Amino acid sequence: MELTPSFDWTGSVGTVTLGATAADGGTRSIAYRIGGGTTLPLLPGGNPYHAPLVAFEICDDPRIWPSIALKACGDITQDIAAWARTAETAYRADIVRLYLTSTRQRNFSDIASLKKTVEAVLAATKLPVIIEGSNEPAIDSEVFLACGEAGQGERLLLGTAEAGRYRSIAAAALAYNHAVIAQSPIDINLAKQLNILMREIGVPRDHIVIDPYTGALGYGFEYSFSAMERIRFAALKGDTDLAMPMICSAIDSLNIKEVRDAGPAQQDAMAVRWETYAGISAVAAGAEIICVRHPESVVLMKEAIANLTLPKGGA
Amino acid sequence: MVAITTAARSGQEALKNRMNSLEGSFAYDETAYHLPVSYALTGIPVHDPAAALSAYVKMQQNPIIAQECLLAKKTQKDGREGDPYTGFVPDTVLRKLGYSLVDGSIIGLALLIGNPEKGSDAAGICRELQEKYMLTFLAGDIIRALTGSGVKVGLDYRLIPLGSTTAHGVHFVDIIARVAMMFGGVTPGDAARLLAYAAERAKAIVFVFPGLSDEDLAFVDGMRVLGFPIVSLGGYESDTWIAATPQDAVTKGMDARGIRVTVTAIPIPMGCSPAFEGKSIRKEEMYVEFGGGRSPAFELLQMKAKGEIIDGKVTVIGPEITEMKEGSANPLAIIISVTGPAMKKDYEPVLERRIHNFVNYGEGSWHVAQRDLIWVRISKEAVAKGVKIEHIGKLLASKFRMDFPSLIDAVSVTLITDREKVLAAKEEAEKVYAERDARIRGMKDDDVTTFYSCTLCQTFAPNHVCVITPERPALCGAISWLDGKIAYEMSPAGANQPVERGKMINPATGEFEGVNRFVKKASHGEIDRCSLYAVMEFPMTCCGCFECIALMLPEVNGIMVVHREFKGLTPSGMTFSTLAGTIGGGAQTPGFAGISKQYILSDRFLQAEGGITRLVWMPSALKEELRSRLMKKLEALGIPEFFDQIADETTAETIEDLSAFLAKVNHPALSMAPLI
Repeated sequence: MELTPSFDWTGSVGTVTLGATAADGGTRSIAYRIGGGTTLPLLPGGNPYHAPLVAFEICDDPRIWPSIALKACGDITQDIAAWARTAETAYRADIVRLYLTSTRQRNFSDIASLKKTVEAVLAATKLPVIIEGSNEPAIDSEVFLACGEAGQGERLLLGTAEAGRYRSIAAAALAYNHAVIAQSPIDINLAKQLNILMREIGVPRDHIVIDPYTGALGYGFEYSFSAMERIRFAALKGDTDLAMPMICSAIDSLNIKEVRDAGPAQQDAMAVRWETYAGISAVAAGAEIICVRHPESVVLMKEAIANLTLPKGGA
Repeated sequence: MVAITTAARSGQEALKNRMNSLEGSFAYDETAYHLPVSYALTGIPVHDPAAALSAYVKMQQNPIIAQECLLAKKTQKDGREGDPYTGFVPDTVLRKLGYSLVDGSIIGLALLIGNPEKGSDAAGICRELQEKYMLTFLAGDIIRALTGSGVKVGLDYRLIPLGSTTAHGVHFVDIIARVAMMFGGVTPGDAARLLAYAAERAKAIVFVFPGLSDEDLAFVDGMRVLGFPIVSLGGYESDTWIAATPQDAVTKGMDARGIRVTVTAIPIPMGCSPAFEGKSIRKEEMYVEFGGGRSPAFELLQMKAKGEIIDGKVTVIGPEITEMKEGSANPLAIIISVTGPAMKKDYEPVLERRIHNFVNYGEGSWHVAQRDLIWVRISKEAVAKGVKIEHIGKLLASKFRMDFPSLIDAVSVTLITDREKVLAAKEEAEKVYAERDARIRGMKDDDVTTFYSCTLCQTFAPNHVCVITPERPALCGAISWLDGKIAYEMSPAGANQPVERGKMINPATGEFEGVNRFVKKASHGEIDRCSLYAVMEFPMTCCGCFECIALMLPEVNGIMVVHREFKGLTPSGMTFSTLAGTIGGGAQTPGFAGISKQYILSDRFLQAEGGITRLVWMPSALKEELRSRLMKKLEALGIPEFFDQIADETTAETIEDLSAFLAKVNHPALSMAPLI
């Protein structure tokens, strides 16, 4: 049965370009244009340029990374370049997302090391890269300056701006032409407000990706789903301040009770399933970048996305 | 005294002559923006005399363009100047500088030029600019004057020596032009956009000491077009420049450009954070207390004219805490004066209410109630740490500045602890309270054309939109029209937005075109019509925070109201919580409306349904709470007997009881037009 839904939408999701190839002054092997949907996700016209992309998350200080992800990736987690390279070549992710977890140590001040880390990752993989900066407002200014500078020309996606804490990221995006992740706590109005604040400071709309904040499946995901649905509706109804593509990372999936209680033999499979199903649900709600931390989740996610999107490039 | 207009005119002539004799080619390395000012204004990449002239002519012989071209030529010919001068700032450095401006680690840019009589005057200005997180550029003689009085210059000191002549000051303008192109989305050649950017966004000030040539003056005066205040430190005569002394130059310049320094730390010996707000100070923890019926105390916030107060000034009149007996109750007056360009008298009570929050932010200070009913305590722990009455003043002064940066530019606090003086000041305060009450009471919906929305509750009631008018506060009772207005002014992208009411569609139900349009958009297309004064048709949506619910009772042709605190069954057969569950969540439910208690007293209450006389039932506690104010209203309407015609749970528990009661008292609703 062919479903031909017509909703009379008046708006569309804006587009954001991630990564710059040599033609655009970067060194990435590919650049993605995400967004652009003119209807709900997965319907014809819902994801016109790309099927949703899978980003693999890595970090520069694995001590605070979920043990399941560390175990699944093995020794390469001790070498950020190797980890980034493996994410591209072996895990076959579409994007690499680097968390600068080293900045989360108490009194962190080694800004120079961050620049080296970012450069190492950019050298190790040719995929577009997302960089997550500090968690500490006091060092934001220096951290994002370093990230922005190190990735100049590569059109990074920088994370994560929040209300009350977005100036440094916005500045880095403006100074070095990167895109920005704008996160709000599962609230459509706060998402809109942050986008307006970003616009006022000068960040163009086509440089913003919304992170609606994603709870793990069964741990608040339904709220995220509802917020995402409404952000998408708003965009399609013509609200340009919400018409940006979305990124989701259900990062708690690997640490939830069901995974912890699963027993050694089942734990890994449970974690992968939990992470994947959260990701698939997010795709259904309109996410265009899904982030995962378990290598097997990349495989499952990509398979699921291929099955969900229509064959003739329609999705 | 040099008259600027005459000097600038002769300077422009001189520049014109020199422009006409430009020769050879010239360019700066390390920039993609050619000669940035010329490029930004005209879109012409200037590298030779022909291009320079066409840019110059295109901009009506603008002296800044002339200076830029002439300096570029001179630099090409003579080479870059050596240390300590930076000369033309490369793009890469500028990117970082722009970053700091967007990021807020630099709040503005200043240019200092001229030849000060005393180096120490210029040094003082530089120090003040450094303290206020401004990045200062220097050009010409001033650099020698500064280094001569021991001032260190360089990027590390946020004092950048551009070059040996005043003409090097043009780099200050080319920096701003490039920031506009890099960060402000200004396209080269879009002069209007650049000027708008410079005037609105670029936080730049120019300070001028005496001793400039006519050419320099033409160039400096030309910067006014960019909206930069030109602060003159003597020797110049002009209507448009701001005359100042070395002592007030920075304040005057920053005021003129609207640059504000944000306070970050409050210098008091106790913690100050919303985290402490909920913490109370019990009797045994208390060192001293004020008010609460034990001693006279009040608080008052008033606006003053600009310049009447000194920002941050705290005065304590009477004994300090060290002279008070432990455990004693003492008199206290908290008198706050504020100034600010956007401040209005109407905001006073709203801001005054913040005293409550702010005092509670203090780790060892506690505050309840308002006006002359306040009750304040300071803990033993805080006093042991050295907290004094004075520090409460400092806390208030800092918090008001921090939280209302766009509204307030100066705050001073006077704290009186002398009994006689408190009593005298209190009498004055009572008069202000009375005036305010009269003003707020007098405010009507018809007096304004703008209402305010509140969508704070959309977090859990996705399509709910409150429309707040002077006569209809938000249904939660927490936000009045003035609160909405101020919230919008403070946070223009926030949850309270202005709603132009537009054409009136129905005066009785309070339906307006503009309100409908707004509600449709803000409810994400769910709600098409909204009647502000009606319960029956297209009432406002309900989130879940309403203080009361008004609902129709078809059996008695009337409307009842129940408030949140009432736990029993109402004549509708439902409790408050059952009703709330039925109508909340952002839905529009004809026959039901979420309202505030205050609204019951409004002339707009039940306007569409015939007014207050539709009201048939209210819980007795609510009746008592509203008694005196409601009686006043009923007396004004000439129906004081109506109060006792309103049934409550003591006179009518069920709909049958209610029917009987209403018939017995001959309630007016019985003979009103049918509700349905």
